[in-house]
Amino acid sequence: MNIETEFRIIGKPIPRHDAYEKAMGLTQYAADFSLPGMLYGKVLRSPHASARIISIDISKAKRLNGVRAVLTAKDVPKNESVTRFGQTHALGGGFEGLYRVLADKKVHFLGEPIALVAAETEGIAEEALEKIKVEYEPLQGVYDSLEAMKSDAPLVEEGRSNIITHFEVIKGNIEEGFAGADVIVENTYRVPHVDHAYLEPESGVAWIDENGIVTLRVSTQVIEHFRGIADVLNLPHNRVRVIAPYVGGGFGGKEDITVESFIALLAYKTKRPIKLTYTREESIFCHSKRHPYVLEYKTGAKKDGKLTALQARLVSDAGAYVYLSPWVLTYSMVTAAGPYRIPHVKVDGYTVLTNNIYTSANRGFGAPQVCFAYESQMDELASRLKMNPLEIRKMNYLEKGEALATGEILEHHVALQETTQKAYQALGEKTKAKGHHKVGQGIASGMMSYGRMIFLHDTSRSYVSMEMDGSVTVRAGVQDIGGGQTSSLAQIAAEILGVSLEDVKVYFGDTALTPLAGTTTATRQLYMSGNATLMAAQEVRKTLLIMAGKIMEMDPERLDLVDREVVDKEGSDKSLPLVDVVRACASDGLPLYNVALYKAPFRNLTQFKRIEGPVFPDFTHGTHAVEVAVDEETGVVKVLKLIACYDVGRAINRLSVEGQLEGGAIYGMGYGLMEKIIIENGVIKTPSFSEYLLPTSLDAPEVQTILLESGDGVGPFGAKGVGEPSLNSIAPAIANAVYDAIGVRIFDLPLTPEKIVRVLKERNQRIGKR
Amino acid sequence: MKKQKTYLLEIILNGEWKKVEVEPQETLLYVLREKFGHTEVKEGCGKGDCGACAILLNGKPVNSCLTLALQADGQTVVTLKGIGTPEKPHPLQESFVKKGAIQCGFCTAGMIVTAKGLLDKNPQPSKDEIQKAISGNLCRCTGYKKIIEAIEEAAQKLQRTMNNKR
Amino acid sequence: MEYIAPNSLLEITKILMRLKGKATLIAGGTNVIPRMRTKAIKSDILIDINRLKNLSFIKEEKNRIRIGGLTTIAALATSKVIQKHAPILFDAANQLGNPLVRNRATIAGNLADASPAADIAVPLLALEAKVVTVRSGKPLKEIPLDQFFLGPNQTVLRKDEIIKEVTFPRPNSKAKMAYVKLGLRNAMAISVVSLAVMLEVQGNHCKKARIGLGAVAPTPIRAYQTEAILIGEKVTTELINICSKKVLDEISPITDIRASAEYRREMTSTLFRRLGQKVTL
Repeated sequence: MNIETEFRIIGKPIPRHDAYEKAMGLTQYAADFSLPGMLYGKVLRSPHASARIISIDISKAKRLNGVRAVLTAKDVPKNESVTRFGQTHALGGGFEGLYRVLADKKVHFLGEPIALVAAETEGIAEEALEKIKVEYEPLQGVYDSLEAMKSDAPLVEEGRSNIITHFEVIKGNIEEGFAGADVIVENTYRVPHVDHAYLEPESGVAWIDENGIVTLRVSTQVIEHFRGIADVLNLPHNRVRVIAPYVGGGFGGKEDITVESFIALLAYKTKRPIKLTYTREESIFCHSKRHPYVLEYKTGAKKDGKLTALQARLVSDAGAYVYLSPWVLTYSMVTAAGPYRIPHVKVDGYTVLTNNIYTSANRGFGAPQVCFAYESQMDELASRLKMNPLEIRKMNYLEKGEALATGEILEHHVALQETTQKAYQALGEKTKAKGHHKVGQGIASGMMSYGRMIFLHDTSRSYVSMEMDGSVTVRAGVQDIGGGQTSSLAQIAAEILGVSLEDVKVYFGDTALTPLAGTTTATRQLYMSGNATLMAAQEVRKTLLIMAGKIMEMDPERLDLVDREVVDKEGSDKSLPLVDVVRACASDGLPLYNVALYKAPFRNLTQFKRIEGPVFPDFTHGTHAVEVAVDEETGVVKVLKLIACYDVGRAINRLSVEGQLEGGAIYGMGYGLMEKIIIENGVIKTPSFSEYLLPTSLDAPEVQTILLESGDGVGPFGAKGVGEPSLNSIAPAIANAVYDAIGVRIFDLPLTPEKIVRVLKERNQRIGKR
Repeated sequence: MKKQKTYLLEIILNGEWKKVEVEPQETLLYVLREKFGHTEVKEGCGKGDCGACAILLNGKPVNSCLTLALQADGQTVVTLKGIGTPEKPHPLQESFVKKGAIQCGFCTAGMIVTAKGLLDKNPQPSKDEIQKAISGNLCRCTGYKKIIEAIEEAAQKLQRTMNNKR
Repeated sequence: MEYIAPNSLLEITKILMRLKGKATLIAGGTNVIPRMRTKAIKSDILIDINRLKNLSFIKEEKNRIRIGGLTTIAALATSKVIQKHAPILFDAANQLGNPLVRNRATIAGNLADASPAADIAVPLLALEAKVVTVRSGKPLKEIPLDQFFLGPNQTVLRKDEIIKEVTFPRPNSKAKMAYVKLGLRNAMAISVVSLAVMLEVQGNHCKKARIGLGAVAPTPIRAYQTEAILIGEKVTTELINICSKKVLDEISPITDIRASAEYRREMTSTLFRRLGQKVTL
């Protein structure tokens, strides 16, 4: 790939166009917006994880002065639907799930919504909640995914098995694989529920506009939910409009419907604008979490380190509702064997309903969980074989043109060799240990897809137009959750059309006014909407250059657009102001705009049980290298060095890419060291940020990022997506570094000080016994 | 419904005297957002665990969610919009933009307020001092690195401006 | 809800006597407001004592240090007097909560809240602090801090009694002290275990020993028996090790979401040993 071309804007570390407004405090997030006559909404939620609803008495609540509506399940036009969760066509199998707006006869998880209130003030709405009397009959529930798989386990949802789906990956012959192994390492890994913990709690305002359109302005990653909301209200899709302002963090937690159905219903019923904002406690209790997994791994290798076999059983806790659990499991299945050449592979994956909080998308979407397992396994093998962790990986890494265990061929550059080498080198000499500390270094690499699974037939649309004065308008349904999703589109348009970033205005996130660009999930926006914007901008450029060529009597191929002028690539001083070309086009009735549709590769599936063949458009590869100091007596882990080396394809905005890698590293570090939603019998014991711990500035080490640009991504200018890949391998890198420091491995996250002290004690007792 | 008793609150908000009737349990955060329209002050957690609501009370950064509005009566309150405006941006705002220290932006207002409080007291903070000063401001997007770099750069810029004035 | 912001201590004590427990006192608000949020506090009357100007001070006197009840934790954390004379209090103040909270939280508030992990109480216990309280029409009362706490979030304070100031004897310049807080992260952490040790050694022998512990009992505590072992003895590594085991007899930690009782016991022992070595070197 040719990366020598000098770009004017692409690749430069320029400030994002939305940063200025945010720095000035001008950006209006969902909760910052108000309308005259606005009501306030609150949700009554179940205090039980599993119970029958005997009766609901809303009479006292309705009579409270200032209350304008109290709704229960029977007031919802379509309370239940089988949702295809973002698929545009039916896939069948386990990829669909029940979406229930309000609990009806039973509650299935603690926090499940039961009733909605709209009132003149938030205080009155809260008071009304207390006046709603619900009679419950607590039922036995099931709170462990392995227990829930048993045939005698209580059913979470009547009439269906707790096991949502079972997937398989089969390559070669697993018995043969282990028979040919000189060493076999078998371990069970466990990873917990964690929260997205975006700083902005869920929020939205809904109203009926002057044309009777149900309009929502909501913090969301998916404006396409307008369809699901319309279905809930039994309205045609074109009578519901969703607007997404800048989102204060999403990470997958705002990928499913959160407040939308509630505010739409209350606005529809009261005919007044209504705002609903979750408290932080409500957000922690009631929105989706990352899937906890039980990961049983068995890996075999020859004594020279070559992998021969990998067998794994993955069980994820889907919580009380299906949501995206089968999708997440698919991602885990595809990457379960890691980016390695393994002749014999057998993976069985299950996702299981329980009466815990429902689980769904969270940055990484099933890939970080298996990465923790397979990268720990690699170091376990290295230890058994007395090999350097770097060497055992290098000899087994897949190369471009080779296939994953599922048979998917890696068609684009695989940068594992060089990212691992560079990350490892950047670690440098081990820092000298002081006092009670032991210092360890560890590496872990990962691969994660960007772009949605190809059997979802993903598309994105973007509209680019040039105004009469040479300024540029982009309209795209992109939801901007902080990763520079809209800014990249502005950069691409500016680059292609020869204007500055300030000359481009992006209108985004409005189902009525911007072409739908698809979800801001799956690390797909730069890839999909970036390409769509590129295509649209190139069409406009073509029109302009053909006209310029006509005026200047030159071959359009010789012309370029730079700084609002048409110039000669070959250096002569022939030039033309851009505005002149624009006027000429307009006067000739030529289109100075284009709406482009970008299609990802498409594939149709005939069966879903066995995951095989191509699943993703491409993958991003990278390695984390970590140095830690472990206090052997207290178990406290301090991260001394953290290096992230990734092949980003092409960095569209250098600052943004670094920001994703730095932020992703700390997001993953939290997963590795301190984050856990403690849940017992369906009750969350970590209700606020006092109990659920995120890394503070005093916990985060300085992240060193090393960007490689192979140019071989499928995004615009050869870019790859980094939003999710950036955190994939951080937790196992830390676990491997801790192992290097203290010589004992911990098989479950997070690596808390107490766990470390416990394994050291057990190890010392074992040694003592000998 | 019982009418809640209200009290007159008078504060110097971003340099101007402002007054409004408030209820005793209303926090400064609530009043700033809902009664004075300063929605740049954010609620992230409502109980002092995240710093998104930080404002300067008599020059000191505090969580406005942990301060009753009436406790600020007669005192000076400065929010992000009192630190810099589009007409006259503060070096902190400029360096946050320039250094890529803003992703989703939700922590930004509180972060800049806290940084301003720091630089007012300690114009040349070390990296450690910056890290400590913002340890009550959570960020989920950036990993803090570019935020710290932005504060360092703003401090240097302010020092240069001070030195030039001499 | 009613809000009263008296201008003098006299006024407050009179109001408290009249209202007899129907009111909630608020100072910095960093504990009271979260309680109001969860409806743990339901009273209809708020009395704001944060206005009182003359209750915020740090005074070094000939024989003692006096700290006004409304002195913020931030003031303690930046006070040269405290840093010089009571470094364990200085260290604890610098690690309590986070910088924003420290700008509002008060010493009286931290003590009156009486969390078993009250960060400020631990060094104050080692410093043999006294709490000076005031009630309407009554003389000032001095309560030794080790008699102040009754249980989790329970103190001997009557409903009409306010903490006016906290005092402790100015430590001997020869006194060595050390503080450690173990938390699950480096800021905004509720203590898993916190420990303060003050030793006065003359010649080779320990003349005085004071040990404060937090988060390992229903209240912050002193470890009297361990102190007794040290006093009069030559402080050796061996003695410190013995004490690090003895101290376990005096604590009664629980298992909660932050840590198990067993881990807290082990850490108390480990951290005591480290602090003990630190103050005897």
